[in-house]
Amino acid sequence: MISSRARLFLALGALALAAVPASGDRFWMQFLGKAMIGGIFAMSLDLLVGFAGLVSLAHAAFFGLGAYLLAGLSNRYQLAQMALTLPICMAGAAAGALIIGWLSLRAAGVYFIMVTLAFTQMLYYFLNDAPWFGGSDGLYVALRPLSNPIAAYYAIWIALVAVFAFLLLLLRSPFGRVLIGIRGNEQRMRSLGFPTRQYLLAAFVLAGSLAGLAGYLDANLYGFVNPALFGWRESGLVLMTVLLGGKGTLHGPALGALLLALLQQQGERLTEHWTAIIGAVVIAVVLFLPRGVAGLLEARRA
Amino acid sequence: MPEALLETRDLSRRFGALAAVDGVSLSFAEGRVHAVIGPNGAGKSTFLNLLSGELRATSGRVFFRGQELTRATPDRISRLGIARSYQSANVFAELSCGECVWLASHSRARTLVFPSAGVAERARRALATCGLAERAGVRARQLSYGEQRQLEIGMILATDPQIFLLDEPLAGLGHDEAQRIVALLQELARRHTIVLVEHDMDAVFSIADTITVLVDGRVLESGAPDFIRQSERVREAYLGSDAP
Repeated sequence: MISSRARLFLALGALALAAVPASGDRFWMQFLGKAMIGGIFAMSLDLLVGFAGLVSLAHAAFFGLGAYLLAGLSNRYQLAQMALTLPICMAGAAAGALIIGWLSLRAAGVYFIMVTLAFTQMLYYFLNDAPWFGGSDGLYVALRPLSNPIAAYYAIWIALVAVFAFLLLLLRSPFGRVLIGIRGNEQRMRSLGFPTRQYLLAAFVLAGSLAGLAGYLDANLYGFVNPALFGWRESGLVLMTVLLGGKGTLHGPALGALLLALLQQQGERLTEHWTAIIGAVVIAVVLFLPRGVAGLLEARRA
Repeated sequence: MPEALLETRDLSRRFGALAAVDGVSLSFAEGRVHAVIGPNGAGKSTFLNLLSGELRATSGRVFFRGQELTRATPDRISRLGIARSYQSANVFAELSCGECVWLASHSRARTLVFPSAGVAERARRALATCGLAERAGVRARQLSYGEQRQLEIGMILATDPQIFLLDEPLAGLGHDEAQRIVALLQELARRHTIVLVEHDMDAVFSIADTITVLVDGRVLESGAPDFIRQSERVREAYLGSDAP
């Protein structure tokens, strides 16, 4: 699945990321922390887009649920211990994914995309108007589980590596092969005896809980959540990250997140219309690198 | 009379004003090859789709070993042991032959996450039976059309079914390729129950124990090959609609 050259590149990249806190540079720790969270988020979506063949615009909702749950627990119940809050936040995101996925998977193709979008927008407007959750102002995370920046950084690094390894093993397992079969020919899988909708729902819930993990880490890193996390813009951005990096490769979307973060940071310094730069890069990648940034690594091998 | 494995009672399916399948009552005996023939548009594929759950019957019922499955979903019907193939090869184009039969075999496994040796063994045997053992590593879309049809049968064989529903397994094949599939079907027929929809009359009369002729969604005649061969009504139906 991954060439040895790409594997070496990824291992070196992970080690380099692990060494960053030694520099003591707060800016880069925050910046790369955010990029790695984007990587976890994008890999979790790649499970759906790249392997199960499900294009979901609800993914930001599960990121937002993970983040909001941490803010709520911390603000209202003064709960911060990671051993307690992390499982609750991931389970909350999974529960949201179970409900939204169960309802959305009754539709297929473009209708599935529209239904997932509609649910995300519902949650956005709900949180925007719910004073208990801070309304449109959002909430501060009063007590952070990991307030030390170095600890927060390493938690993100460990989560990134663990999510990558977990998804890699999952996709090589029979469960992952069934998902790939469903992507190839769902009707045939059903007639071979697979309850395909249940498999897709399981993938949707799993991906949702991992998006919740990314949201949790994000709320911890920034100490702040607002309804924009649930916006369709966020769902679109993470989908773009997956395509930019190369869907169906797992490491591609993680690289895509890093690239997108760099583009954003450099673009912001150049012009306030930095989103136009990102748009141009995405168009160029889609046209000239159909397999995304990950395809670039594979192509060099030949 | 051997026990009926699969049975339909007054099964009908309408598409608007058209009755594609119209009050068909048939019983498929265990261990037999039962062919369903008829001119184009006679409702043969619709009939198979009703049996495999891909279409819902407008009225009538389907029983498998006495258990009703008129409203069952395709995946449940498959898990009960009713496997079907399709008119054009319906394989996983991007997967290798080995992976295609492995997936089919895994549909009968109880494990979700851990691989099982039984699954791999059943897949390997199915691939050998359908004659593609040496092609295990080749992607399905790189196979010839005839080999894709072989793979299709290998895949349903790997689900360890009790009854095969085969929708025109010889369609679109050249003479040699068709001969290979006929030999494969004869091999399967020794141990399995088969419902065969097919246009190739030589193949049908050489394999089938029982033949049912469908015309306009209705059973015109049903019986042993010799009886069908001599039936005036069958001759008229074929000459009436299919004469060159």
